Amino acid sequence: MPGVILIFISALFFPGIILRTKSIASGRKGPGIFQPLKDIAVLLRKGSVFSGTTGIIFQIAPVIALSTLVCASLLLPFANQRSLISFGGDFIFFAYLIGLGKFFSIIAALDTGSSFEGMGANREAFFSMLIEPAFFILMATFAMFTGHTSFSGIFNHFFLTGNDYVLIFSIIGIFLFTQIAMVENSRVPVDDPRTHLELTMIHEVMILDNSGFDKALIHITSYLKFAVYGSLMYNIIVPSGWNIFLHVILFLAVQLLFAVAIGLLESFRARNKMNKNPKYLLTISAIAWISFVIVLILTNKLTV
Amino acid sequence: MVNYLIVLFSVTLVYFAAAERLIIYIRLLAIQGLLLCGIAVFELNEINTVNLLFIVTETLIIKTLLIPYLLSRIISRSGVSKVHRQATPGFYLLLLSILSLLVSVILAGAMINQYINVIYMAVALYTLLTGLLLIITHKLIISHLIGFLIVENAVFMFSLAIGSRMPALINIGILLDIFVGVLILGFFGLRLKPHTNELTMLKD
Repeated sequence: MPGVILIFISALFFPGIILRTKSIASGRKGPGIFQPLKDIAVLLRKGSVFSGTTGIIFQIAPVIALSTLVCASLLLPFANQRSLISFGGDFIFFAYLIGLGKFFSIIAALDTGSSFEGMGANREAFFSMLIEPAFFILMATFAMFTGHTSFSGIFNHFFLTGNDYVLIFSIIGIFLFTQIAMVENSRVPVDDPRTHLELTMIHEVMILDNSGFDKALIHITSYLKFAVYGSLMYNIIVPSGWNIFLHVILFLAVQLLFAVAIGLLESFRARNKMNKNPKYLLTISAIAWISFVIVLILTNKLTV
Repeated sequence: MVNYLIVLFSVTLVYFAAAERLIIYIRLLAIQGLLLCGIAVFELNEINTVNLLFIVTETLIIKTLLIPYLLSRIISRSGVSKVHRQATPGFYLLLLSILSLLVSVILAGAMINQYINVIYMAVALYTLLTGLLLIITHKLIISHLIGFLIVENAVFMFSLAIGSRMPALINIGILLDIFVGVLILGFFGLRLKPHTNELTMLKD
């Protein structure tokens, strides 16, 4: 339970820290850390406006997307405690919960009947499809490395294996989770939330018809998704057996560092050309695949 | 330590599939030469010192320094810097590269016996397939040459897979280096002209 509460707390400050980092990196005064929260508070006070062409799918999609992510956060362990929901192969359930939320966002975009939103939905589905193998291969690697198939089992035994290669897997894990989080949240280099041209948008164009309360829910989903991936990263950096208070401090520190890293990446990295994205995403999967081959070597599945 | 080097070697092969500039190919070839030198030092400690010294010198001087230098000279003289004449888009090359890693792992696993080091065999097969993929998916003749150099690294890896039981194979691998050296010098001898596609395109 403390893990879920910490995820929600860090999600509150995540977008503000990214904004502050970007402001400082570009030499601007910029908005304060609480500005995104104030924006959400304004949106939550407003009512939603629905187009006449949209149906029930469009109205329920933001709520489903948020609820799937809240459920997904219940699967993540914290320190040496088991997660609220834990069973063998729960990382597959986690991936499909996030996939379900994305599926509803996509069909909600199609429900509007707008050609722009259909185009954005098409791109979002394609890029999500390409990044999914990276997540599965990485988790399969961790599962083979630790000999457990649930998040709790994997992360509680990650540093107990006593294997020298744990550092390599931590580095590969941090790199891949960062990339997956960036793609899943439609950030640079695959997408750019600041863009104002519909033709180059991916996620932003999908939510053009959403307003008020629904838009606030979509933003909260995005912030929560960052915190959830930050929590995954924290679990492969910090050994689970340490003091719980130290864990709380380290959790918040990892989330802070993750937000700052995203802000810096977005400040100094250009967005990819649209036709370069599939290759970029496949390269991430290829790196995950190599980590899987390493674990095959380590577990003597390849040797004589 | 050897496992770290082999992993790095595999990463360079994925980078080969993803890269689009010839200068990156050349840097990767130099890195591969360095990694092969490291692997040879750690792995071939059973063969005699003179032979080992020869292999280390060959990988360090020819593979890491000389061949990349000659290739960069060819690129600067021909004015071709980008692999822009791929027959297949890079996305499919990367996809095929991942598939070839899968095939290599399965094939190497199927070849388990006491004389073969399966890890080296898997990486050697992957290197061979990457070199062949580079040759069949690129149209520039310079890319074919780089593909051939990767295949040659694969032969070196194969020789390591069989260990010190077949030292003649290592010598054959080194002989290939000399052939490639002659081939590259042939490129020089033909006097490349910048901005013409004389030696950068296949004349078929």
